[in-house]
Amino acid sequence: MMSAATPHSANQPRRALLLACGNTLRGDDGVGWCIGCAVEQQLRGYDLTVVRTRQLLPEHAEAISAADVVVFVDCSAVSAAGTVSTILIQRAESLPHTLTHHLDPGSLLRLAHDLYARTPSHAVVVTVGGESFEMTDRLSRTVKAAVPRALEAVRCALLGFPAPETASQAC
Amino acid sequence: MSRTITIDPVTRLEGHGKITLKTNVQGEVSDAYFSVTQVRGFEKFCEGRPYYEMPSLMARICGICPVSHLIASAKACEAIMSVEIPPTAAKLRRALNLAQTIQSHALSFFYLASPDLLLGMDADPAERNIFGVAKAYPELGRAGIGLRRFGQHMIELLGRKRIHPGWVVPGGVTQPLDPAKRDEILSFIPQAYTDVKLALAAYKQITERFQDEIDSFANFPGLFMSMVNEDGGLEFTDAGLRIIGAAGNILLDNLDARHFDEQIGEAVEPFSYMKFPYYKHLGYPAGTYRVGPLARLNIASHAGTPLADAELIEFKHLANGPVLGSFHYHHARLIEILHGIEVIEQLFSDSSILDKHVRATAGVNRQEGAGIAEAPRGTLMHHYRVDDKGLMTWANLVIATGQNNNAMNKGVLQAAQRYVKGDKLTDGMLNRVEAVIRTFDPCLSCSTHAFGQMPLVIELLAPDGTTLDEISRS
Repeated sequence: MMSAATPHSANQPRRALLLACGNTLRGDDGVGWCIGCAVEQQLRGYDLTVVRTRQLLPEHAEAISAADVVVFVDCSAVSAAGTVSTILIQRAESLPHTLTHHLDPGSLLRLAHDLYARTPSHAVVVTVGGESFEMTDRLSRTVKAAVPRALEAVRCALLGFPAPETASQAC
Repeated sequence: MSRTITIDPVTRLEGHGKITLKTNVQGEVSDAYFSVTQVRGFEKFCEGRPYYEMPSLMARICGICPVSHLIASAKACEAIMSVEIPPTAAKLRRALNLAQTIQSHALSFFYLASPDLLLGMDADPAERNIFGVAKAYPELGRAGIGLRRFGQHMIELLGRKRIHPGWVVPGGVTQPLDPAKRDEILSFIPQAYTDVKLALAAYKQITERFQDEIDSFANFPGLFMSMVNEDGGLEFTDAGLRIIGAAGNILLDNLDARHFDEQIGEAVEPFSYMKFPYYKHLGYPAGTYRVGPLARLNIASHAGTPLADAELIEFKHLANGPVLGSFHYHHARLIEILHGIEVIEQLFSDSSILDKHVRATAGVNRQEGAGIAEAPRGTLMHHYRVDDKGLMTWANLVIATGQNNNAMNKGVLQAAQRYVKGDKLTDGMLNRVEAVIRTFDPCLSCSTHAFGQMPLVIELLAPDGTTLDEISRS
């Protein structure tokens, strides 16, 4: 986790939050953490908090409510392998009826709104299509090759620029 | 016509199980079974592994209370090594165990139980969840999330991981406490106090609405067991065990890990993979007992911290003797959260917590060892045997939820006899039967070492075994 003061430009959000999701022991599912670590290094000096987590939880709602922009980065099990997708998200109309062990980004925005009466002005999900979810701490070649594009998409989302590539696949 | 009701899966629990209710020819519930339907076999597949791997391996049994498994396992390993861990390591483990208790109790109270308590047992199931609570009572929703985050963040700061931290090892902990982390943890304390006091005040306001449930949710005379320190105070990590009777009389005292299996037996029943531990002197089932927050507060004469002591005095006024109603587990959890925050503040305000000597080392000096800790849900015991090289030859775990098994079954029967009427199950009936089990906050993943979430089924059976009705939630 990192947080540091920096001068703000017109394009630079004041407080950015990156929720890097996944499991580093399940092959490509670790790509979110890999990107989270890289962004943390690249954007040193920005007012950025990187949270690495295996799943989205109600406990993340407060950090989301305190951010001006939130980006969720995760592996997608349904997109084509190596596809980088950037999806703008809105808060969900309602919250789930049951509490399982994870939440989706829209529901977390909703929870942040209901509990803390504030949500980020900009919320984006960046996904990378996964190829292999076997028990390994290494990314597949296809996903590894997609990491630079995903990094750029996350950077753009965090800094307020349009993403270089968009797609409409669901997370 | 008699029948059988099955609730499968039971919801808002950790793990997977089902409830079967049998009715007689008068249509009254005559028997009830809470079945845990999965098994994992950790005791078996650890055989052949080095004993020092056990803490990190066994902690994988559970994602809610891995710290208790780490501690009980490390203590069993230390018995094999014949070492005493450094005092600062013991304090750090104590703090870590309390952090876990806080986050686990917050999960149980706010996320799992509070929808029933704040929104009502008969509220619309679509709203009767933590999100409904957040909407209706945002300040309590924030408090619950805040307390859970406090416990989890503290575990992460100490152990570097929120779940399954590798910091606790045989001989102590891997690293001393960094002063910056100590300061960060202390900075969270004021808000944690605010959050738990808010919850206690809210709980006391709503309990009078639940007198019927208090009377019928596993409310019966029985034994209790928990750790208790040398002067009779509340303790979670390093002390002997005490068993009391329904009148508060001490039946067994100063039971340590080495002699645990001489006093505690484990019965099995054909309807569940979860075992039924009992006090051998009284036999099975007369010797079955309850563990966890209710047992700890019934057994401890005092908490040893000022705010929790004041709450404990009030709690003990609920009954003339031990508090027998399991509904009061909820109240006990909140008091234990308060106590945990106070102890953490005390421990971390003392400069000795930064001492650098935190790990003792040794090899195999005994071929058998056992360790006990109080998990959030109650007493947890790990018992190992190793060969000359320190490779595991045998393991047995006695889990808190298992020790509440008989009480949960009795409680389900009691509540079902009170609430299940007629030929058709309603959601209110179903929810109350489930809510009895929720008072114990069972972790079935722990108790059978089972994998997966815990939905539950209620099944209604005729005397001939025919299924007459079934409710299932996923």
